[in-house]
Amino acid sequence: MGWRTDDELQQMLRDSAVHYFGSAGGPDHFRRVRASTAGFDPAAWKQMGELGWTGILLPEAAGGSEMGLQCALTLAEEIGRSIAPEPFVASAVIAATVLAASDTPAAGALSQSLVAGTRSVTLAWQEQRNTIGVPAFATRFEGNRLSGVKRFVPGWHADSALLVAGTDGAANILAVVDPTAAGVAVQSARLTDGTFGAEIAFDEVIIDDHAIILRGSDADEALSLAIARGTIALSAQLEGLASALWNRTVDYMRQRAQFGSKLSDFQALRHRMVDLYSEIELAGASWRRAASALDEGRYWDVALHAAKARSSQVAQDMGRWAIQYHGAFGYTDEADVGLYVHTAIRWSSWLGNAVSHRRAALAAHRRERGIHA
Amino acid sequence: MPDDLNALSNDAFRTRWRDWLQANYPREWRVPIILRLMGDDERRWHRMTLEAGWRAPAWPKEYGGLGLSLEKQLIMHQEMERHQCARVLDSGALLLAPVLMKYGTEAQRDRYLAPILRGDELWCQGYSEPNSGSDLASLRTTAVQEGDQFVINGQKIWTTLAAYADHIFVLTRTNKDVKKQAGISFLLAPMDALGLTVRPIMNLADEDELCEVFFDNVRVPAENLVGGLNEGWTVAKALLGDERIANGAPTLSRQAFEVLEALIKGVGVDDDLGVTDRVASLFCDIQDLGALHSHVADAAIRGEIDNAVLGLMKVLATDLFQRVSDELLRAAGEDAGLQRAVGIGGVETDLRKIYMIARPSTIYAGANEVQRNIIATMLMGAAGK
Repeated sequence: MGWRTDDELQQMLRDSAVHYFGSAGGPDHFRRVRASTAGFDPAAWKQMGELGWTGILLPEAAGGSEMGLQCALTLAEEIGRSIAPEPFVASAVIAATVLAASDTPAAGALSQSLVAGTRSVTLAWQEQRNTIGVPAFATRFEGNRLSGVKRFVPGWHADSALLVAGTDGAANILAVVDPTAAGVAVQSARLTDGTFGAEIAFDEVIIDDHAIILRGSDADEALSLAIARGTIALSAQLEGLASALWNRTVDYMRQRAQFGSKLSDFQALRHRMVDLYSEIELAGASWRRAASALDEGRYWDVALHAAKARSSQVAQDMGRWAIQYHGAFGYTDEADVGLYVHTAIRWSSWLGNAVSHRRAALAAHRRERGIHA
Repeated sequence: MPDDLNALSNDAFRTRWRDWLQANYPREWRVPIILRLMGDDERRWHRMTLEAGWRAPAWPKEYGGLGLSLEKQLIMHQEMERHQCARVLDSGALLLAPVLMKYGTEAQRDRYLAPILRGDELWCQGYSEPNSGSDLASLRTTAVQEGDQFVINGQKIWTTLAAYADHIFVLTRTNKDVKKQAGISFLLAPMDALGLTVRPIMNLADEDELCEVFFDNVRVPAENLVGGLNEGWTVAKALLGDERIANGAPTLSRQAFEVLEALIKGVGVDDDLGVTDRVASLFCDIQDLGALHSHVADAAIRGEIDNAVLGLMKVLATDLFQRVSDELLRAAGEDAGLQRAVGIGGVETDLRKIYMIARPSTIYAGANEVQRNIIATMLMGAAGK
């Protein structure tokens, strides 16, 4: 741990997460979700609801545990360490942040089922590849009809509740949409972390007034905060994943012998593991700085971009060397290392990959400095 | 100036130090990265800060220092970076003094500490030898006790600023028949001692800061032994931990990055995607190392030192400084080959000099490869066990 510290609440949460994922998470759970048709384990989600985790950012009024972002990030780290395929970021962080900003009955009802873990909720906001931050929407609410196409919708499964972001031309709008309504066409695809992503087309879908949960500047603020929080939480998951994979790899290197020595004795390999450890340390520091910036009201700060860039990069780098140092065994599906690598691919490419966020970090820095405007 | 700077809030302390620098720091010294204060300039800096009540922030008050908290010491470093101050070695205050405070005699402290504070006596560190670099404990310079004197023979090398120093603290072999670390003693010697000669070495940055120091039957009184006989290895490790923390900050990388940004704008490649991706990558490295450094500093302020991470930060900071300086040359195109300031985009800096100044940082203070060995042992256990 070293410089990393938890407050009392975080420590309790971490202990219960380690305990829970120790029996119900990890590679076996991942394999079950990957093999399932839905790519979603309702029982696991329900348990996470009972533990207070699905409602970690929701207000007590909605039944949530309202523990705040720092606690959500502690949980995200542990979720990363155990490569849990539950839609924590998509649902308990991003969708929950949007729901918490609305005082409508529609939002309240969804919040309650999210808190209970009886539903997962997903926010359909993205329309283009490589989107960072809140884009201008082409999806339109015109009169009481919704039209447009949303891509890369995370955490998709048949019973998923759906929030959609769009515009009426003047202001952004967030609405609860029934995915089974007439005019909604869903195409889903399995992702490398075992879950499904969806492309959802809306063709003149009728939206009742009571389904609209946020509008105008409230919607803008909620969207911006939701996606920023999700990006940082995903960074924490990636760092947790990389750190678990580092430990796993060292464990393997300690027991595997070649040329009469353990792999962990070879200097070239030891130096590489030190460098990877450094990158993980940087990632841990980076997303914590991003979380502090967000707490101070700076959502799309240099720190956020640096954090997602670093965490995405280190998870992929760690994946590459984890396979290499497991040797041919690392290339088998039987070796759990591949599960981490597959998860790293999905998480590092979602919500902006390393290259995109590095560019965004530099651009944000230059804007702050007023140079290269 | 209040008696207790520690009583000031961090903000008030920062403002006070910043204002003092603005009013008093010589303009001609504001050449970051390139300039290191040496000789009379270094003496002047120590005197200025002593008179104004800013000298020796880390020293306890009983020895004439400020006894500042680590937090406030780091603020001083941050403001000096911000003000673009020159580098300063201050071996006496930073390297020798902590040793004397921990292992020296009362008489040694009375004799040496005050002149260090005043800048009257500058020190250099005689550790490395031609065949003892990263493997320092294999050193062969001998010291033999004859009556109430030690007679020193041998050669030191890479002794920084030896030509400007008044004294040297030197590791010597006093017992050849034991494990190499167990036969070393820590001695003090005046640079004008009979038989002691200094030969500066020209380095790749056109500087002669590094020297060879030859000992030919140099006699020093036995009272110049610091700590016990053959206990020099332990004594030498009493470096101020605080300094290691300050040194982990990506100061030089940040300063070189400022030069890089001005340069690529001047050259007109600031919207080139290849350049952007490389620069963005360096920028994120600096940003993240800054984040790690402040977390580690916070932990150290709480009294929790993570030795593995301190070593890592040395490796990361020095490697990063080199990579930023590499990019400076790449960005300058043909002008990278100029042996003078480039004069592009207002950058009046000799890029090759920055490039060269960045080279030895991965070698000194424990070569990065040795650091990786040490860290690997901390993280993975000793090899072959």
